[in-house]
Amino acid sequence: MAKPVNVSDTSLLKLDRQAVRKSRFGLRKHMLLYLMILPGFLYFVIFKYFPMGGLIIAFQDYQPYRGILDSPWVGFKHFIRLFTEPTFFMLLRNTLVLFAMNIVFFFPLPILIALMLNEVRHKFFKGAIQTIIYIPHFMSWVIIVSISYVFMTVDGGVLNELLAAVGLPKISFLTSPEWLRTVYIGQIIWKELGWSTIIYLAAITVVDTQLYEAAEMDGAGRLRKTWHVTLPAIRPVIITLLILKIGSTLDLGFEHMYLLLNSLNREVAEIFDTYIYTAGLKNGQLSYSTTVGLFKGVVGLVLVMLSNRLAKKMGEDGVY
Amino acid sequence: MKTAAKKVRQTGALLLCTTFLLLAACGGGGSQAATGEPYDENSKATISWLNILHTASPPTDTILNKIEEKTNADIQFSWIPDASKEERINTSLASDSLADVVTLTLLDNSSVRNSLKSGLFWEVEPYLNDYPNLAKISEDTRRSASIGGKLYGVPFQKDLARNGVTIRKDWLDKLGLEAPQTTDELMEVARAFTEDDPDGNGKDDTTGFVDRSDLVYGAFKTLSSYFGTPNIWQVSEDGKMTPEFMTDSYVKTMDYMKALYEKGYINQDFAVTAKTDQQQKFAQGRAGIYVGAIFDSKNLLNMAKGLQDDMELVLVNDITSTGNEADRAIWAANNGIGGLLAFPRSEVKDEAELKRILKFVNDLMDEESYALMTYGIEGTHYTVDDQDAVTITDTDLWQQEVQPFAASRPKESGYAIHDADPLKQESDKLIADNAKYAVLNPAYSLESETYNTQGSELQKMIMDATYKYILGELDRAGFDAAVESWKNAGGATIISEYEAAYKESKS
Repeated sequence: MAKPVNVSDTSLLKLDRQAVRKSRFGLRKHMLLYLMILPGFLYFVIFKYFPMGGLIIAFQDYQPYRGILDSPWVGFKHFIRLFTEPTFFMLLRNTLVLFAMNIVFFFPLPILIALMLNEVRHKFFKGAIQTIIYIPHFMSWVIIVSISYVFMTVDGGVLNELLAAVGLPKISFLTSPEWLRTVYIGQIIWKELGWSTIIYLAAITVVDTQLYEAAEMDGAGRLRKTWHVTLPAIRPVIITLLILKIGSTLDLGFEHMYLLLNSLNREVAEIFDTYIYTAGLKNGQLSYSTTVGLFKGVVGLVLVMLSNRLAKKMGEDGVY
Repeated sequence: MKTAAKKVRQTGALLLCTTFLLLAACGGGGSQAATGEPYDENSKATISWLNILHTASPPTDTILNKIEEKTNADIQFSWIPDASKEERINTSLASDSLADVVTLTLLDNSSVRNSLKSGLFWEVEPYLNDYPNLAKISEDTRRSASIGGKLYGVPFQKDLARNGVTIRKDWLDKLGLEAPQTTDELMEVARAFTEDDPDGNGKDDTTGFVDRSDLVYGAFKTLSSYFGTPNIWQVSEDGKMTPEFMTDSYVKTMDYMKALYEKGYINQDFAVTAKTDQQQKFAQGRAGIYVGAIFDSKNLLNMAKGLQDDMELVLVNDITSTGNEADRAIWAANNGIGGLLAFPRSEVKDEAELKRILKFVNDLMDEESYALMTYGIEGTHYTVDDQDAVTITDTDLWQQEVQPFAASRPKESGYAIHDADPLKQESDKLIADNAKYAVLNPAYSLESETYNTQGSELQKMIMDATYKYILGELDRAGFDAAVESWKNAGGATIISEYEAAYKESKS
């Protein structure tokens, strides 16, 4: 939105600099731009920053009918409880393992698919593929988990019937702890793979075609062009997305896991999100679950800062 | 240049307008007209009701209008789906966004309990005897529904014990079997249903039991009653509390389920089966034994129409592990208390308003309201003969317009009007019969701080261990170890807190 003004009106820019000297933010000069920022700014203040005040209740024994002001203060009681809870390390382990699997198995796939789609020359074919792989993104987890249930149940599930038909023993995908993670990541790949390619495809379209022509002159084939031109060109995008992904490390998504969770796979399936739900909303321990949420947030923040610094060390831009 | 800048300006203005519009739209809604004038007993009342919905969609206005006419009230429902009631009720309590009448079904939930105890709701006991229907609520019911000796709402009066076994009669007949009286006979029926091809199609496509992933309302807890397991807690003569899973009969029940599972007499995926899938499987003729609420039988038969037209059902509620009539027992869900209709002080401002609302609840318990909320409108949904026996004529319409109200009836039995359907009559009879053998939970109205805060976390440990034992992933030693860690994680404290509370209640 702001671009056309800046680029087209160089004289305005000069005036701006004078204005800046007068008032640091150039309020009057950039009135319009500030106005345009305002809705987004308000959004963040009202819906993101203002509610943060509620984090205070992590240090209280919050009781709704007493309110934040009158609830008793308890210091770090809830933090101590969280870290000494026998389930804490299980939660941390499950969350981290799933996160690592997500990065290793899921993250590179959209890049690969985007590169492959980029090589497809037939327009209609490319469009068709894109549409088809985008569709699962619009289905809710409830539907995806239900479909998987129909496929994987041991009582007449298609997969197990196939296994039985070729003489293999049935596998209880839904209840065995060994399969939970595979099923979980598999479902994520099925649902989000197509959708995640969008940003990469967009990044690829802006790659300077001259570079490809130059590479061709040097005798580069398709693979070489992809490796030496396309990939380096979209590297900043990849790094940015990776950092953002790391920021949401502990945010694995409540709904998905809650649907997969059952008594038999809990040891690997219980993550912070599902724990907050049972402890906080179902048991009504608002303060304690706020503590867990706060912990999650802090870990996410630290990880983003670390990976951002790492990215900068490696000569990339980072996200801030 | 100019046009570009203008365009930006216009777009910006448009964006802003939209945003403010959106913000304004979000801001609305919260306000409610508060009327200050005192209520007249017979005046038309406006009553908002935060209620639980047990069906897929809320009812249409047909019945609502009739109820409003009958009770002289304008009722505004906010429906909460049953599946998300815990979080929704908790958030409503936490954010103080309640209604004049709130249906509280989870009295053992800690935040519900705390808000009741904190005086967020009116204490109603002093007023009950002023109303003919409310006055009839028995002393026992009032006591079990009380918290800390105080009654914070009108208790839902439900049948005490509603569970039993539903079996395919046509399959029994075909295989020459009798309805089982003991758990061993039940096992034999399950075996025959699995192995002897009860549907006669020559394929091995049936199992005995079909169960769902629910240790309480599914088969497990009802079977555990047949083995003599206490209902959640057991209290000895000298006031010692024992949780059900530390009794031998609980282990026997697990062994029984384990045998069913290993021999294939139960659907192999019962640990992940949902209730609708369970009922579908039964209706499709893939299994012949259903353990759950006895009145589900009518529903099962309805679902089987067009799929299993030969289906005949027999209802059994007198199974024991020993065969002795004296050992009959059946657990009572929440000791027969379906919850409370509670009235928050923040919404119901004064005594006059409370009295008007109590009058409304009283009117809901009249025979006429009961008939409306149970069967619908005569001529539209049902016909009635001179014996007061009702036949539902339009099941689809009834399901859509009437069924959602069923769970909102403050009282569910003791009316002259009744269902003409023989299966429904039979199940009503057996449920009434169950009451004589009902096993209550002695800790139901006792307080334990640890249970309130960590109860469901701890319960998960036992639930997981029980499933693992049944599916053969844990042996007895492993199960005992789980019980031991339950004790160490807070279970022992719960026991001692309950024992103290029990002692206090007895003195």
